[in-house]
Amino acid sequence: MEYLSEVFTLPAILTIILGTFAGVVVGGMPGLTATMAVGLLVPFTYTMDPTLGLMLLGGIYCGAMYGGSIPAILLNTPGTPAAVATAIEGYPMARRGEGSVALKTSVIASFMGGTFSVAVLLMFAPLLARQALEFGPAETFLLALMGLAGIVSIVDENTSLLKALLSGFLGMIIAVVGTDNMSGGLRYTFGLTDLIDGINFMPALIGLFSMLQMLELAGQREHAPIDTSAINGSQKRAKLPKGLGKYMALGSGTGTVIGILPGEGATIAAFISYNFAKQISKTKHMFGKGNPEGVAAAEAGNNGCVGGSLVPTLTLGIPGNSVAAALMGAFIIHGMIPGPELFTVHADRTYPFILSMFVANFTFLIIGLAFAPYLARIALIPPSVMVPIVSAFAVLGCYALNQSVFDIYLMIAFATFGLLLKKLGYSLEGLILGLILGPIAENGFSQGMIIGKGSPTIFFHSEIAKVMWVIIIALLVPPLLSIARKWRANLRAAQ
Amino acid sequence: MSRTTVDRIVLAGFVVLAVLLYISTASYPGIAQKTSAKYVRFLSVCLGGLGAVQLGLSLWKERRGVPLALTEHVGRFIGLIAGLIAFAVAFNTLGFFIPAAVFIPVISVMLGQRSPIVIAGTTLGLLVAVYLIFVVVLGIRLPGPHF
Repeated sequence: MEYLSEVFTLPAILTIILGTFAGVVVGGMPGLTATMAVGLLVPFTYTMDPTLGLMLLGGIYCGAMYGGSIPAILLNTPGTPAAVATAIEGYPMARRGEGSVALKTSVIASFMGGTFSVAVLLMFAPLLARQALEFGPAETFLLALMGLAGIVSIVDENTSLLKALLSGFLGMIIAVVGTDNMSGGLRYTFGLTDLIDGINFMPALIGLFSMLQMLELAGQREHAPIDTSAINGSQKRAKLPKGLGKYMALGSGTGTVIGILPGEGATIAAFISYNFAKQISKTKHMFGKGNPEGVAAAEAGNNGCVGGSLVPTLTLGIPGNSVAAALMGAFIIHGMIPGPELFTVHADRTYPFILSMFVANFTFLIIGLAFAPYLARIALIPPSVMVPIVSAFAVLGCYALNQSVFDIYLMIAFATFGLLLKKLGYSLEGLILGLILGPIAENGFSQGMIIGKGSPTIFFHSEIAKVMWVIIIALLVPPLLSIARKWRANLRAAQ
Repeated sequence: MSRTTVDRIVLAGFVVLAVLLYISTASYPGIAQKTSAKYVRFLSVCLGGLGAVQLGLSLWKERRGVPLALTEHVGRFIGLIAGLIAFAVAFNTLGFFIPAAVFIPVISVMLGQRSPIVIAGTTLGLLVAVYLIFVVVLGIRLPGPHF
């Protein structure tokens, strides 16, 4: 109850509203993502009250996840990748004059998914965090391996399995730069004092997820005109079709579970929820032609991912996706190391943060119901306005964290090299996951080797370790089998 | 240069990096030989091994290469990177506001914006917003000029 009262203070409410509104705006701009917005703002929360800073970022996360659906429905231009499935059904609805129904379905489904997943986070995170107290160095190492196993699931039509794994290992190698915790010696710093503390993952995150998108936008020869005809007529009030509740519930559950799995993002959650809805629907023939059931499931799915992704992030320090990784950075810069202490020592900050996400969900519900058709015009902001603004923020954000110009150079280098890797089919999510989990894995590995007197059997000794190996294998086997099936099918097709 | 060729160069770079990394662990001092060195060797074997397999697959498939287009508009792409580097260089002495007041209109014009009202509005709007939100409301100390 005392934590609830912290959320309902004027500064907290204003911060949540500001964050959520900013999130909806960012989510509504094609090319800008929740990761970019959260990553960009993390350094600015450094001097803020930690609770308010985290509430601001939580609001952005919730708002951005919903905001992507507005241009997806009205302009067929998904604001975020997670809203692609929404566009498949939402835009045809808008074209036939049902834009207001699609928008209403989308915001209510997003609210349901977001609220359900935050409730799951509130109930289960403290329980899971208590289990983390049993973890020694060997289990910590396995935990990092578990997070890295998520890289396999990143594989899609653009990224091969080998390249996804290569990205992860490259990230882990970049994380090796700096002072060796075991010997105190310097590794691969090349005499640069800026590298003594290693490569900060925030400039890497801003470079890979914000600046890279700006470089891509700046380098586009011409921008395809956007059809705005569906915006007109979407401003009238409309009743929600009956029977959508079960699709919202399905999406909420699916999104939350997928969000909890390391490496699985909101895009996957939205598509899997959408496919489940398609399978159980009585109006299958309407899918692809503007079925509100698809909008309901996809939006509940991607917003369900929000709370789910924070479960492993806050309890085990394993980010569920790239936005959660950026949020984890915010916790760390405020001296709150993910794990059991978040729910004991720092409970006065963690619980208000989680509770604030309920308010953020409620905020975007109101924003969506009242202003969604007007917000669609955000997507029409030209790159010549968006790129310099976001770039200036990126530069300021990188500098602000350590007052270091070197971090700005790092950000530019990550953006440029990241773009090359992206064009060659490497996984940037895998790279950032490796960069974050690298130090956790190294510390666990090194301490485990000392305790085990040089024997790797320590990593198989305890009951928890055995269970964790089973989970790692369970995480790896289904995607590997699916990849093997694809390879076999391709070989057959080639013959 | 074709996408396949660039890909192979990058993969070969990963293999070389892995070998250098593996060799470098021999110079790790004392206790690090039993801990960090083993970890780094594990990473370098994984990077080098996976890189070599991917490189082998790429050579085996012998695909006809399509040109790698990092960007469609080289001038704007390079211009933005140059602008960012100039911004970073100016940061130490001029702080945030002065370089930003130059960077935003220059990049805006470079990307095709021709309306002086939009350019001035964007620049002033951002600077005023940053000042009001970060300096006045949030109390964050932003770097200023050091002459």
